[in-house]
Amino acid sequence: MNGGLLLQALVSGLLLGGVYGLVASGLTLIFGVLRIINFAHGAVMMLGMYASYWLWVGIGLDPYASVLLTAPAFFVLGVAIERLVIEPNRDAAEHNQLLLTLGLALFLENLALVLWQGDFRTLRVPYANASFVIGEALVEVSRLVAAGGAVAIAFALYGMLRYTDLGKAIRALSEEREGAMLVGIDVRRIRGVAFGIGSACVAAAGALITPFFYIAPDVGESFNIMAFVVVVLGGMGNFLGALVGGLIVGLAESLGAAFLPGSLKQLVVFVIFVLVLLFRPEGLFGRPRG
Amino acid sequence: MRDEIRQVSLSPLSRRGFLTTLGAAGAAAGFPAIARGQAREVKVGYILPVTGPLAFEAQLALNGIVLAVEEINAAGGIKALGGAKLALLPGDTQNKVELGKSEAQRLIDQGVVALIGPFSSLVAFSVRQDTEKARTPFLLLAAVADNLTEGGLRYTFRMQPNGKAMATLTVNNMFEIAKAANVPIKRVAMMHEDGNFGTTMGNHVEAFAKTVGYELVQRVPYSLRSPDFTSELAKIKAARPDLLVISGYYGDSKLIAETSAKLRIGVHALVGLANAAYSNPRFIGENRELTEHLFDGNYWHNPQSARAKAVFEAYQKRFSSPMANHGVQGYQVTFVLKDALERAASTDRDKVRDAIAKTNLTDHILTQDAIRFDDTGENVNASPALLQVQNGRPTVVGPARFAESKPVFPVPKWKG
Repeated sequence: MNGGLLLQALVSGLLLGGVYGLVASGLTLIFGVLRIINFAHGAVMMLGMYASYWLWVGIGLDPYASVLLTAPAFFVLGVAIERLVIEPNRDAAEHNQLLLTLGLALFLENLALVLWQGDFRTLRVPYANASFVIGEALVEVSRLVAAGGAVAIAFALYGMLRYTDLGKAIRALSEEREGAMLVGIDVRRIRGVAFGIGSACVAAAGALITPFFYIAPDVGESFNIMAFVVVVLGGMGNFLGALVGGLIVGLAESLGAAFLPGSLKQLVVFVIFVLVLLFRPEGLFGRPRG
Repeated sequence: MRDEIRQVSLSPLSRRGFLTTLGAAGAAAGFPAIARGQAREVKVGYILPVTGPLAFEAQLALNGIVLAVEEINAAGGIKALGGAKLALLPGDTQNKVELGKSEAQRLIDQGVVALIGPFSSLVAFSVRQDTEKARTPFLLLAAVADNLTEGGLRYTFRMQPNGKAMATLTVNNMFEIAKAANVPIKRVAMMHEDGNFGTTMGNHVEAFAKTVGYELVQRVPYSLRSPDFTSELAKIKAARPDLLVISGYYGDSKLIAETSAKLRIGVHALVGLANAAYSNPRFIGENRELTEHLFDGNYWHNPQSARAKAVFEAYQKRFSSPMANHGVQGYQVTFVLKDALERAASTDRDKVRDAIAKTNLTDHILTQDAIRFDDTGENVNASPALLQVQNGRPTVVGPARFAESKPVFPVPKWKG
């Protein structure tokens, strides 16, 4: 085994895993509170990336700074989506809700295609090529900032969930719906807030990766799939699980890429996914549901 | 045109029987003259993934088709059909097999004389069975998988180089350049997307190794939307290749080139193989420093051709963006059909098919000799150009008789 290659794979995996973690945090939050699998999560991420892109092109706003604008805006967007699209179908059968978010994803992607064409866009920030070397491993500054930012946002969110009344209400609702209603939590409002926070998370993740990635209408799809794996891995609805799961998936992917032949890296991730489903369906960090 | 079709389909004879009879009689009695009087419009169908993951590339190809159709119509349409205009009927495949099939069938039912498309080899592989059954000429666009013309098909034609020609001629061109520069290539690494296109290319680069005498030290297929290639490229760097060959689409190829530069990958050259980005003017324009001196073996236009220059100017004027290779393909394949329609002097699909099979088109804008098809429907002279980005412009550096400029090889910037 080649030491430099191993170090590189570990570094790349952790950096990518941090972003997966933030995307999955939003998804798991939405699942925990609303009990819906949000297939539109990746599409919302894509919209967030376009928002950062246009802020850069339009007024020259740095993509990192744009988080301060896009996150609140996408919170509002998320609340609106929940109110207008999800809430009216709250009592519909589960598979209908699934189709609803899938339809929303298709709608958003095609809306982007109509508005901005299928062009791949890239955001040329001056620090795009900044990088340094640790040992033999290349560290791209933009990826480091993305991962660091993602983990920081995820922790801030965790703190909010843990210590504020709103956070406690969200957790209460995701753990025991009827109990939460009995103690007077405004379930309707919390559902909207949770969807809003989830959307803000994923928009922030989108903004953080624009300096090194590209933007296209279907760009959210690969992150979406990975986020599902991460959420299941960490335990559906488990917040810290999502973050740790993100790092595990990122590492599995990059170690697979470095040491396995061909395109087996995706296989590694999905083998882990299937194993978890088989042997620990509640996820690595989830509590078994009785 | 519409009336003509209706008459035919209402006749008690089968459509083909009717036309054969009439055609045989008409050959002596001046049937083409009758057709000339009737045809006002010739329907041409395209099936392209204008939405979905390949939307960007597909639009480039479609622009080329539109440009050709407008040029043909403005110049008086199909003269052998009394100046009939080409009418372009759209079909969106979204790069999905089932949609490709249903859209193709719909267009066939609407009476197109031929289908152009469908970009992806996977979709082409299914659609060709429908066009065969419906006896409709199918002019492949962009699809490079070798097996598309296998199986004794009569109605499928491919103007562009197939996978084998693309891969082997590109590697050959690179080796000639290396020989001229006295820098031998012994170790080759390859990254390719894991769909039909990339895998075909990978297989040929692997199979060709023995013929030319190089070792394929790493072959890495990857998923198109992968967000990071650092580990893959670190693995390749560790294998110390002389050449890194990349078959991919736009976003992935961009990430690969960027990461290669940051890792100081240490090869003599990065060579795209039918790459969707490395000779794309837009990609180059947005990434000037990164793209300088990238190679790409790709279908291209002949830079020595005066007609090509005019076409490029027309494209720029019409679409306010520079013409890319997919546009060239769309444009040229439409003229292959136009040429066949003129010689067939008929909108009967079988006659058009026969005319396409007898194509010998020298007035074209490609880097090859006359466009001619063999029994399987492959263009016998199809040949990719080897391009290198020089001063921000994709420049033909091989084969020598089409070259605009000398190649820069080895490329200093990729050295570690």
